[in-house]
Amino acid sequence: MNHQSAGKAPPKIDLTSFGAFAAGSQLFATGAAELSFHLASDWARSVLGEGVRVCRAADLPPRTLCAAVCLVGSSTALGERLPTGNEPVQVIRGLERRLGQEIGAVVALNLDAESALLPVITAALLDIPLVDGDGSGRVFPLLNQSTYTLGGVSVTPLVMAGPADDVVVLDTGPDRVEELIRPLVLALGGWTVTACYPMTAEVLARVVVPGTVSRLMEAGVPGAPRSIAAPYGVRTLCRGRIAAVETSTGHGMDLTLPSLPSSIVVEEKEGLGRLIRLEAHNEIVFALVDGAMAAMAPDQICMISTVDGMAVDVDKAVPGLEVEVMVVRAAPVWHTGEGVALGGLRAFGVPL
Amino acid sequence: MILGVDLGRHATVTVAVHGNVLTEVRVATGASGAVPVVTYPDGARRAPSATPRAAAVAVDMDGVRRAPVAAIRVAGPCPPGLGPMVGWPEDSGVATVVRGGHSLTGRPVAELDTAAVARFAAECGLTDFAVTATGSPVLPHHELAVAEIIADEVPGARITLSYEFGRAGLRERENSAILNAALGPQAAVIADRMIRDLPGVSVFFARTGAGLASTHYFRRYPLICYLGAFTCALRGGAALAGLDETAVQERGIIVRTGLVTGGKPRLGDRRDTFVPLNVRLPLVVSASEGIAVGPFARQAGPGWKVPEQAELAVAYGAALARPSVDVERIVQAKGRAELDRAIDEARDEALTRAVSAGAAPGSARVTDTIVNALSYLPDGLFRVEIRAEGAIM
Repeated sequence: MNHQSAGKAPPKIDLTSFGAFAAGSQLFATGAAELSFHLASDWARSVLGEGVRVCRAADLPPRTLCAAVCLVGSSTALGERLPTGNEPVQVIRGLERRLGQEIGAVVALNLDAESALLPVITAALLDIPLVDGDGSGRVFPLLNQSTYTLGGVSVTPLVMAGPADDVVVLDTGPDRVEELIRPLVLALGGWTVTACYPMTAEVLARVVVPGTVSRLMEAGVPGAPRSIAAPYGVRTLCRGRIAAVETSTGHGMDLTLPSLPSSIVVEEKEGLGRLIRLEAHNEIVFALVDGAMAAMAPDQICMISTVDGMAVDVDKAVPGLEVEVMVVRAAPVWHTGEGVALGGLRAFGVPL
Repeated sequence: MILGVDLGRHATVTVAVHGNVLTEVRVATGASGAVPVVTYPDGARRAPSATPRAAAVAVDMDGVRRAPVAAIRVAGPCPPGLGPMVGWPEDSGVATVVRGGHSLTGRPVAELDTAAVARFAAECGLTDFAVTATGSPVLPHHELAVAEIIADEVPGARITLSYEFGRAGLRERENSAILNAALGPQAAVIADRMIRDLPGVSVFFARTGAGLASTHYFRRYPLICYLGAFTCALRGGAALAGLDETAVQERGIIVRTGLVTGGKPRLGDRRDTFVPLNVRLPLVVSASEGIAVGPFARQAGPGWKVPEQAELAVAYGAALARPSVDVERIVQAKGRAELDRAIDEARDEALTRAVSAGAAPGSARVTDTIVNALSYLPDGLFRVEIRAEGAIM
């Protein structure tokens, strides 16, 4: 993954270019609650100062310690219980104490709306560079669903900090992480800034999906084609009107599930007038066109509203809405056997 | 008979409606005298054929003068860009952050700093207050406690509590509370004028989105009527044209277009307000065809149909509305029974509020109940939204 070693240097994220980066991060973003995005955006603007240097992992001294920074937990909670502003510094310092080494750069886990902005805030507060790339190329719900995991890097040790001034260091096997952090997140205030996947720049250069930060900065410039935000290609499955949204009753399952399975039926407006069925668990997992499988995870399937060009969250889909159904191709590593096992249909609980 | 009154930016338009049919019309510039003499569509002026039971007044509050507000946020410290009144014009008032608030699970984050509240209230020199506490959609105790302290320190203070605009999202809820407090004095002026102009008639105000609120409710919560006239233009325009699904373009001093689906204005979280709010407003869209209404409807481009009496759409839309309220809460429930109990409580509250908003007690009913689990919170937290409405007494 070193195709970016040639070409011009990545740009800087400052008050001038921040708007384009933030807009770019929303182009295919699902599950991005507006208010937490506005919050992260206002927070970032207030701490950007001179701006954040964006650099390629390969351009850092190879032994530089890097860490991924992301938001874990509920964006509703973030909007209600505001950050103290210290969380990003607390998690980086916590990870440094745990490892006995200074962290020289941060990188995003994914670049979906507010997840894209937290690493920028962290880099600005600590005055260290942000690596041009991310660990996903799209977005997955679990912390260990990343190209970093696929490249053999452990998500742990990880450090979490919440709005109540608590810091938690989690030293455990990667397979135990999800089970441990879910209850912790609530106790910490419903959301946390998390620093994880500590690794050297040399390793990061091998496992990162490269160049995605600078791509979003280009894609978010008004008038730029949306496809710039999709490094491995994007196609339109159909343009149509949402005809029905069906949500499972849950079959008496535990009420605390974050989201129940649901189906969205889209009637194609033009061409063949086909019927497209989107099956969702939190996000759209696969798409059937007239009954035939047309797209599936790990590729990302999203609905873009034709009224305002914004991605439509699964839980905001309503009959009557006109949408373009788009499929963003995941990075090649997601299409390997291991990639499909970690981010494919089975990872979303669909036994196909 | 119900009167519909359009307090437009240029003229006041009054219509009378019998069983949803437009019967009488009067157009007057400014506030000139009482309403009960009406001009009929044929030009004749005579007393109305029946005594009106009620009047529904439509007004947009986005253009009225805002009073300076003292804003109190009950929360922990936050980064500079996320403080209270960030983004508001310079002369909007003063703000402070005091210790306190609750977590989303209802635990106190910190003890309320009552001394700081008392000091700020006594020294701020203002009488319109907006109070916002972290976690108040779950537990409003600290907002209520702050209100008591303000009432003790500042006699005659008008106080808006953010939990009454129930949605989670501290900053947006706070902005809504501040805006509501800022609109209060002007809302009182409008309400007084309507009561004077319409003696012996129950006066209601058109809410943003749908429904009516009593004058008393409008005085306390003018923000819920923020785009009442635009709402009525959309509903009235669609009704005049006999359509349930259409774009409606309002052409008055301002030109704007909204959507009507299922007979109701399409609402959403608008990004174009001067600060982010947590109230849903009619979406402004661009469209090339539909129904044009308002005094300058005939200037709309090709593709826009102008129904008869297009200049009466706002007043007509107001007269068609019924008292209604929304209640939104975050509840924590460990199972179905606990959740059902919480939903029942929210429904009771909505019904009570519908009656206090002017619905005849026997007529109040719940029209919508929406329950959503909050994503990525493991402990059974739900957002409960209830809408209730009723008939005018």
